[in-house]
Amino acid sequence: MAQLLLDNISKTYRPRGKEPVQAVSRVSLEVKDGEIVALLGSSGCGKTSMLRMIAGFEDVTEGAIRIGGKEIHKLPPAQRDVAMAFEGYSLYPPLKVRENIGFALLRERGASADIEKRVRQIAELLEMTDILDRYPTVISAGQQQRTSLARALIRRAPVSLLDEPMSQLEPQLRAILRARLKDYLIEHKMTTVFVTHDQTEAIALADRIAVMEKGELQQFGTPAEIKQSPSNLFVASFIGEPPMNIFDAAIAAMGDSTAISGLGPNGQPAFHLKAPVATNNGKRVRLGIRPHLIEIGTNGSADATGRVITNHWLGDQSHICFEIGGCSVVGVTDRPIEARPGDALPVRFPLGAVHLFDAESGRALAHGLGQRGH
Amino acid sequence: MNQTSTLERIIRGVLIALVLVFFLFPIFWILLMSFQNNDQILRIPPSLFFEPTLQNYLALLTGTLKTTAGNLDIAFMRNLGNSLLLSACSVALSLLLGVPAAYAFARYKFRLGENIAFTLLSFRFAPPLLVLLPLSLYFKQLHLTDTYIGLIWVYQLICLPLILWIVRGYFEDISPDIEHAYRIAGHGWWKTFRKIAIPLARPGIAAAGLLAFIFAWNNFVFALILASAAKQPVTVGALAFVTASGIQYGQIAAAIVLSVTPTLLLALYAQRYLVEGLSLGAVKG
Amino acid sequence: MTSLELRNVSKGFKSGKVLDDVSLSVKAGEIVVVFGPSGTGKTVLLRIVAGVQYPDAGSVAIDGADVTDASPEARGIGMAFQNFALFPHFSTFDNIASPLQARGTPAAKLKDQVAAIARMLKIDHVLGHAPRELSNGQKQRTALARALVAQPKVLLLDDPLRNVDAKLRYEMRLELPRLLRTFNAAVIYVTQDYKEAMALGDHIAVLRGGRIEQWATPASVYREPVSIEVARLFGDPTINLLPCKLEMNGAGGHIGLFGRNVPVSGAYAHAAGRDLIAGLRPEHVLVMENEASDTIPFELDAVMPVNVRSVLYLRGPGGEEMLATVGETEAGKFGRGHRKVWVRFAPESLLLFDAASGQRVAPQLH
Repeated sequence: MAQLLLDNISKTYRPRGKEPVQAVSRVSLEVKDGEIVALLGSSGCGKTSMLRMIAGFEDVTEGAIRIGGKEIHKLPPAQRDVAMAFEGYSLYPPLKVRENIGFALLRERGASADIEKRVRQIAELLEMTDILDRYPTVISAGQQQRTSLARALIRRAPVSLLDEPMSQLEPQLRAILRARLKDYLIEHKMTTVFVTHDQTEAIALADRIAVMEKGELQQFGTPAEIKQSPSNLFVASFIGEPPMNIFDAAIAAMGDSTAISGLGPNGQPAFHLKAPVATNNGKRVRLGIRPHLIEIGTNGSADATGRVITNHWLGDQSHICFEIGGCSVVGVTDRPIEARPGDALPVRFPLGAVHLFDAESGRALAHGLGQRGH
Repeated sequence: MNQTSTLERIIRGVLIALVLVFFLFPIFWILLMSFQNNDQILRIPPSLFFEPTLQNYLALLTGTLKTTAGNLDIAFMRNLGNSLLLSACSVALSLLLGVPAAYAFARYKFRLGENIAFTLLSFRFAPPLLVLLPLSLYFKQLHLTDTYIGLIWVYQLICLPLILWIVRGYFEDISPDIEHAYRIAGHGWWKTFRKIAIPLARPGIAAAGLLAFIFAWNNFVFALILASAAKQPVTVGALAFVTASGIQYGQIAAAIVLSVTPTLLLALYAQRYLVEGLSLGAVKG
Repeated sequence: MTSLELRNVSKGFKSGKVLDDVSLSVKAGEIVVVFGPSGTGKTVLLRIVAGVQYPDAGSVAIDGADVTDASPEARGIGMAFQNFALFPHFSTFDNIASPLQARGTPAAKLKDQVAAIARMLKIDHVLGHAPRELSNGQKQRTALARALVAQPKVLLLDDPLRNVDAKLRYEMRLELPRLLRTFNAAVIYVTQDYKEAMALGDHIAVLRGGRIEQWATPASVYREPVSIEVARLFGDPTINLLPCKLEMNGAGGHIGLFGRNVPVSGAYAHAAGRDLIAGLRPEHVLVMENEASDTIPFELDAVMPVNVRSVLYLRGPGGEEMLATVGETEAGKFGRGHRKVWVRFAPESLLLFDAASGQRVAPQLH
């Protein structure tokens, strides 16, 4: 409904205190009109501070925030055109769930029949029609969270801010509610910023994800970009479940080309991948590959032989952990694999799926090594 | 926000100063009085400027008070000793009884448990005079009047509920899983109580003990009625300065300063524990 | 040989019955996962085995000896708690050593044993630290070490991975089976995470409403859930549930779904005419861009990538909601959704449940 712009904003707590805390440093983000953006990071990464600055509960130490071109970061929260769902729910205890949800619409003086209709609609969306006439104190944490979410969504404000909107949901409801939420946000073209520590949720809901760590923006991109070309080791290992396999590796000349050797715990080579890499000999790097892109049990040219440590079939996918020359590697397949602990399996690392990172800075050097492809 | 801060800060400062003056002025005034003689104290209008004298303190420490009507023996130092003995013994006994009881109330749900706990607390609500009259009669019968043991016993009315309720909150705060884990590891319940529950509740026990000590120290009416001069604490002892030849304001002030100082120091030293202990016990009880 | 046996255990509180006639046996070296949503009595079950709570009826036996009334310290079991329950005023070393101290192990031997288990769990470098100085992962490993150090015959793990971050939880999920195998204990593992249950359990006991609703191997709980509720608990996204009716004609039959007749095997003949609910797992739904034979038109409302795959949010011809999972690369062609797609699924992949009782209708082979 409106574009949101964060222009080089910083947040310092206790700026004149003994130990000032730099919660957010110089972050710039542009959230397009109708776009869904996730702020993703572990606790203490500054994502909630950012959300609270947009909402107006924290001052901006430096920088500016604009909604639809208008500077808003000095306005009181009520004048900012934002709706927010709080992580702590902040429901009004003396009001019924129905009244809590409709509360914000009362201020806008809508017709009561219209409010009633919209409350019902949002309640159906979030599977809470049966609790509309109960009070916040007697419903479960998951239901309180949905009430808080409904209260923010129903306004269809120019910018909606959601703080951990689905963390308490019953797992059986999570997928379908996520789906309906996403459908609702897209249908009403709602500009949304939500905070989460759960990378699955960020990827599922967001058009673009801002990965934060230690107050700094690590990467801002679509889920696919972030998965396929992570900007550094942090982003690479934060996104994806199971996490990306990461090994120490060294680059060496092999014949007229080069090879990358994955190194075991004592620095001995565990496996070799023949690939052209334009870099100096003996350079130490970190090699990453996502578990589901490893080819397991394939016939033909294998890169290594893995000794199976565990093999779990989860109903729709297999998670296999195996060991190659002291490195422990996780692979995921869509089909069950007949292998018991101790068995040997041929393993292939498709070069197109290999990421290389700088060993010191963690910066990404290459995504996919071309040539042999997959 | 930086925009509003200057005015806000000034107003805040003024308000804080007002509150401080309101609460601290009496203490400040007493301190001044303790260095003046009666004439200086009673002059009108009162003045902040005077020749300080140590005469009041000297009189208290030596035990003789020279007045116009002659020398008067005062037992202030003895009273101070009594206060110390009574408060310390009462708190020790209360801890011995109260800590296990608090543990029981925190961990085991038994019939009438809540009622018993509340009854114990309600002693703090009742005016002391209510219990004093029947007690003084019983005490005569039991020959407990004017004995340390009798006073320590009565002081339990002050200390026990405090300790019980504060420490109980602390015990409730310890996850039962921690004790379960110790039991499952193979240790018996008594060892679990000593090695896990008591050490973990130690800040609360310390806070409750301190607070009980201060309350016992400040008690006036129990000792006034149940004890004679020889067993009386400072609070009652200060009455001795209301003499036939007039009220010795200077000595009273000095006595108050001397008697308040130990508890004040204790409270300052343990401020953090006290606030923590109180809020836990009070809110959770 | 059976190491732990619960016979007909029941337990109630003021608020109602928490465990209702639960029987369970665990062999030495076996991991039994007790799985269920929160509030189904999983933790009470563990507490009864641990001796911290006592059952109203039924008995607990360890190695054939009845311990129903024994105190916790007399049972010789190991337990790791969800909140770690470390002794905050002890060092990591003393925490781990506490079961050995209780058994009167001589100091030298105690030191060796603690060092050995700490090395195994990679916490040997923090033995001198206090629990508050440890990371969550190290706390959780310390709790595990304490449970394992005395080599108990029975090991109880109460959702031990609940409070560690996703990455660590995943690592431990891979590491635990190997670790537990070396101890040969009878393990009860409590969790609410179905993936953890399937990865770790030799058997899974699905606990609902204080009763064991299903007792089976992980693969068969997923493939043949006894009821709708069990089917809903296993699988992410949750299984799609579609009301239908079964009609027989000759050797085969069909059910009406999305306005079509879907053929089903004659082995379901005994359920003819009843109100049923068809369960269709999202990974069994095939979604296509173009119409083909046997396809049903759907509206695609949202696309949600998850890890390797994408979840598609579909609405059928009658407004029915359905979730489908497709491969990551495949999902790209659907964009942001809000378009028409065509869906197909194999009739054999349907699970049928009785609408009234919620129990699965199993095919009857003659």
